[in-house]
Amino acid sequence: MVQLRAVTRVMRGIFPVFLYSVIATLLCFVEASGADAERSSGGLMALYNFCESGGPLVRDVSPGGAGGTLQIQDLRRVERRDGALRIFGDAVISPLENGQRKLSRALMASNSLSLEAWITPGSLNQKGPARILTFSGNSSERNFTLGQDGSAIDVRLRTTETSRNGIPSLSTGEEAIRGGVVHVVYTRDRQGRAVIYINGSLAAEGGVGGTLDNWDDGFGLHIANESGGGRPWTGSLHLLAIYSRALSSEEVSRHFEAGPAAADSVESSVAGRSEEELFFENRVAPILANHCLECHDSATREGDLDLSRRASAFAGGKGGKVIIPGRSGESELWLTVHHDEMPDDRYPLSADQKAVIAKWIDDGARWSLDFIDPALYLSHVGVSDHHVRRLTVEEYIRSVQSAVGVDITDMARRLLPADLRADGFRNTAYNLTVDLKHIHAYSELASEIVRRMDVRDFARRFSSRLKFTDNDMGALITAMGIWIHRAPLEEHELFAYRGITTSVAASGGTYGEAVSLVIEAMLQSPRFLYRIENQIGDGTAWPVDGFEMASRISYTLWGSPPDADLLAAAEKGDLYDRQSVSGHVNRMLDDPRAIRQSLEFFRQWLNLDRLNSLNPSADHFPDWDPSLAQDMEKETLMFIEDLLWKQQRPIHQIFDGDFTWLTPRLARHYRLEASLVPDGPGQEFQKVIFPEGHPRGGLLTHGSVLTVGGDEASMVSRGLFVMIQLLRGVVKDPPPCVDTTPVPSKPGMTQRTVALERLSDGSCAGCHKKFEPLAFGLEKFDGLGSYHQMDEFGNALRDDGQILVPGAAEPVEYESSNELMGFLASSSRVEETIVWKLTQFALGRPLAYRDAPAVNAIIEKRPQRGWTWKELVRTILLSDLMKTSMTETLENE
Amino acid sequence: MNNSVISRRTLLKGLGSISVGLPFLEEMMAAPGPGSTTPEIPVRAFNLFFGLGIPAPLQKEGFEGVLEPLAPLKDKLLILRDVDQVRCDESGINAHFDGASGAFTAEPPQGEARAGGPSIDQVIRRHCYPNGMPAGVAPTVVAGTFFRRSRVSRYVHSYNPDGSVAATMQERPRELFDRLFGTVAVGDTGNAREQHLKRSVLDSVLEQYRFYTGQRSPLGKASRARVADHLDRIREFEQRAFSPAQIEDEDRLRRPDPSMVLHGGLADPGGEGIDITLDQLTTEWRLMADLYATAIQMDRVRFGSLTFLAAGERIRLTGDYHFNGSKRFTFDDSRQLNAGGSQGCSHEWWHKFNEKRTNEALKAHAHMKMRELAWFLTRLSGPDSVEANGRTILENALFTISTESGDGRHSDVKRELSGVFHAITSANGRFKTGQIMDLGAEGLDVYNSMLHAMEIPDAMGPSGREKVPVDGIIA
Repeated sequence: MVQLRAVTRVMRGIFPVFLYSVIATLLCFVEASGADAERSSGGLMALYNFCESGGPLVRDVSPGGAGGTLQIQDLRRVERRDGALRIFGDAVISPLENGQRKLSRALMASNSLSLEAWITPGSLNQKGPARILTFSGNSSERNFTLGQDGSAIDVRLRTTETSRNGIPSLSTGEEAIRGGVVHVVYTRDRQGRAVIYINGSLAAEGGVGGTLDNWDDGFGLHIANESGGGRPWTGSLHLLAIYSRALSSEEVSRHFEAGPAAADSVESSVAGRSEEELFFENRVAPILANHCLECHDSATREGDLDLSRRASAFAGGKGGKVIIPGRSGESELWLTVHHDEMPDDRYPLSADQKAVIAKWIDDGARWSLDFIDPALYLSHVGVSDHHVRRLTVEEYIRSVQSAVGVDITDMARRLLPADLRADGFRNTAYNLTVDLKHIHAYSELASEIVRRMDVRDFARRFSSRLKFTDNDMGALITAMGIWIHRAPLEEHELFAYRGITTSVAASGGTYGEAVSLVIEAMLQSPRFLYRIENQIGDGTAWPVDGFEMASRISYTLWGSPPDADLLAAAEKGDLYDRQSVSGHVNRMLDDPRAIRQSLEFFRQWLNLDRLNSLNPSADHFPDWDPSLAQDMEKETLMFIEDLLWKQQRPIHQIFDGDFTWLTPRLARHYRLEASLVPDGPGQEFQKVIFPEGHPRGGLLTHGSVLTVGGDEASMVSRGLFVMIQLLRGVVKDPPPCVDTTPVPSKPGMTQRTVALERLSDGSCAGCHKKFEPLAFGLEKFDGLGSYHQMDEFGNALRDDGQILVPGAAEPVEYESSNELMGFLASSSRVEETIVWKLTQFALGRPLAYRDAPAVNAIIEKRPQRGWTWKELVRTILLSDLMKTSMTETLENE
Repeated sequence: MNNSVISRRTLLKGLGSISVGLPFLEEMMAAPGPGSTTPEIPVRAFNLFFGLGIPAPLQKEGFEGVLEPLAPLKDKLLILRDVDQVRCDESGINAHFDGASGAFTAEPPQGEARAGGPSIDQVIRRHCYPNGMPAGVAPTVVAGTFFRRSRVSRYVHSYNPDGSVAATMQERPRELFDRLFGTVAVGDTGNAREQHLKRSVLDSVLEQYRFYTGQRSPLGKASRARVADHLDRIREFEQRAFSPAQIEDEDRLRRPDPSMVLHGGLADPGGEGIDITLDQLTTEWRLMADLYATAIQMDRVRFGSLTFLAAGERIRLTGDYHFNGSKRFTFDDSRQLNAGGSQGCSHEWWHKFNEKRTNEALKAHAHMKMRELAWFLTRLSGPDSVEANGRTILENALFTISTESGDGRHSDVKRELSGVFHAITSANGRFKTGQIMDLGAEGLDVYNSMLHAMEIPDAMGPSGREKVPVDGIIA
């Protein structure tokens, strides 16, 4: 790649066509060599590198493929030579199907675009302009056209302020190109600034105002001519690319230096899963996970059949093979579900589900996963997973503080309904509903916020001209809008806000009054209260734009909106660049807000708010002091902050950290040895270091976690906590004929004895063995976290047990709680769970199997010594899940 | 305890000491409500949920057994037994939760706080009022008296098409009062200029929310629905904020006093249950029921749900239980179960249900629940609930009553989610009443048949599923 860069640097200006063609030809076939690192992929909607070996098709090799495959209408007029497509007559390359909605919708949504071409013009006398790349319906109606007009490059763009023909166009003027290979880039940003670059240098600049809202999404993408002919372009095409954003000048320069062959490697990343693999992963595996693995996973293996893994599934069970690829009628798996014999004692599969199983077997029973993890199939997948995210109460408070500098904490917490926890977190978008009380609160809060502001002073940050005139007020609203809404205003929004200022002016009001009311409206706008992102597309994941990315970064890292630097980066288009994102993430991780947000993650994940309602039985715990619950919460948060931030230790050490932070009263409550009880006032926190082998140490030995499920020290509650929250295990309903009433301890019978009875019962053991032994190691900690060697009946307590990791066939024994903590700390499953949970928290939605490849890609980047908090957050923010958003098609399409 | 039916007027005037203004309440009481501008009877649908259910064998006793309190209303009810909700079972999730999420949706849950599909009231609402509710009518009101709250579906029973909750739960009488009757003051209400400007702010906000629900919105279906909900509430807010007049001070109505029972996290301390007396429970509930009933009478609400005790509710109830002037039972769960914490809660009677035993405590609890449901229903069947067609609201609106299970033993999903008690009202003559039917049908088919009778073309449940009409319920 270094050699290529050196070569392409020489190319500025005129470059011999022949020599470059040879290089391009060679590079069309070389393996990906890092060339893709030179080109930006953020917002890439279409990419044609003309590397097909022959035939009439020209394929879009971009990951999203919004341009679609094109077809050369007359092969006699073209020639594939030297890795380029040479056009030497009146040719046209048109879509296989009419309309490229994905492309038009994406560009309309972003209101910005870039067109890039590596070309060798056949002549400098082509006029029309001759169509290099056009997105049009005919010769007088278009969305855009990149054309050559003599030695000039001319770009027409339809907006609400240009004609249907895209006139007036932006043109370089004559002699911008002089023959040979030339790199042409046209960019147009949201604000209407348009630029043409020739060979990396600015060649023309101008304003193309308005929006792309008037685009026709029935138009097609054509190369080398209009769809109906009459505007032919001749020459060689090496590369054409379309972006849904304006590339920065630095990116344009980099693309030029990278040369056209840099795009060839993109093709290698397009390769996805086969249809058969997707069918198995998206249709078959969910059925097996939800209806079969309860009895036929590696741990239960009823009938010696394990359907969770490929080898064991095809090996079959006691009765022989159950899957005969290609022959569903001979496969026991399908026969038993077809006749409703399976799932045993459960509701039968639906006709659709049975048909899926039959089709899969008949098509060859392709099995593409190592292990079917039931945890992936708990959440239902669908477009409804992508709810627009309302700001939580805390996010609202911080957004107000950031936007206008007013601390509205007390009033907001008082007026706004609390956000409820759903699927483990309070920021789960589908549960962030609204009711009248929200509307009332937002209105009252907006009034109060503005009342507390110095509005004129605030306005001066955005405009020095504090005037009522149309232009001045429009400019102020535009600038203020970007800041408060975290993205540029749409035209209709500007009109709406101008309507307010007009009303004020008409009623004899003041400038300050007008600005106050505009701010009030902005604070109630959906653009402020929600995190609006484009969700319309073709049902695939599309790149988020720079402003959307800025909010994703800042709310994930800080729980608050982008700061000025991040917003400026979004405006410049820098957030499509991995290095730029990484730089901002690093900068923001050094801010105290990042610590606060990390603690918020743990607070929600571990449901620490539960401690506010801890109400232990007065009979069993007569000495309980409610302030201990607050100490427990603070202990956990201080421990995490110390371990993850002050010491920068790997996250997995939260399970076996050899220290904690305690008040003397909490230490005494825990019944710590006197030598470990801190001196000083009862409520003052001090760090306590545990000697090696001490039973305490790590999150699970904190009162905040030991009280899960109440004060009963229930093996079931604690075991389920470890299994579900740490191991991402799945447990099924109780089996038939079991009284689920908890059994209390008594002389001669501890909770372990009770659990062991359940584990010896065939009907209970199948599920209970998966989670109850996980809690054995905590038996010496009572329901409020105190440590004992004997329970209240004088029964001796133990702390040995077993741990069965989901997917494993056999449990691992542990001898003490200390060993249990060590196991959890070293478990890759536990560490992966943290990745899953944090990714869910960042996205504000439960994850499902569709997300698994992207999450696994994050997991694969694990540093050898384990994730530090900063490394993990940075990796998640740079992942595909954060850079893209799943789209959906409109119903009428 | 609130033992007598209170008129709309006295109820609202006598409940507390803190006052709020109400827009033209007198007029609203005397005349058809703001949503009833014509004598036509509006389409209304409400879901009435009670926790823990009635074991199927006890339902067989009809009005001689735990259903006795419903007997005075039996001519206005169609009791539906043997309704199968087994499809709502979601492996790996507690059956209390499955069944509760399936009540009125007939679908398994789709997450901790999301049902598997819309509830029947919302399907009807969206079809009958595609452009939002008439001015003055809340889009949906969800309320209830409950304590267990580990998962939202335990107590919320009105769901949007995507399974998210249709409205925020109102669990305190004051909150419900404010939600139903409160006015909002925006700026200085006596200053016409300020009101005009505040309105221009609201107009600009409204316009933006409209954009995000419209053709050019960049949002997907579920998000647009969420923004549409927001838009509905802004319209309602606008109507309340800028209603043309406020009643005079002396006519101001009274908000209920602060609630005397536990709410929020304190009401569900780690699933351990709380102590509560029958008097505390029913006083709170009846106040909620009266407020909700009054709102229906005043056409403040046409859709929503009301919950009396959550699915898998955990309370340790004490107090003497009287019915029709005689003492029927003394509740003392913890002592009678000889246990504290969660093991001493009334919930355990359902776990211990045994057809061969008397199940005395369970029956008393279930009987009490029917008494309290009857309290609410009776509020809508009296002379002050007679509408233009001569029928009462109870007869004109669709009330669907259901619960979480047909057996509380968690020992057999099929049994637990079969025989789930249902009762419906006639919905203005659309359904038979005065009968007890053993349907032997899936809940989904029952709900879809109800929709069919209501002339709603939309169907609930998976697309392409073969429907089995339950015509027997249709009048």
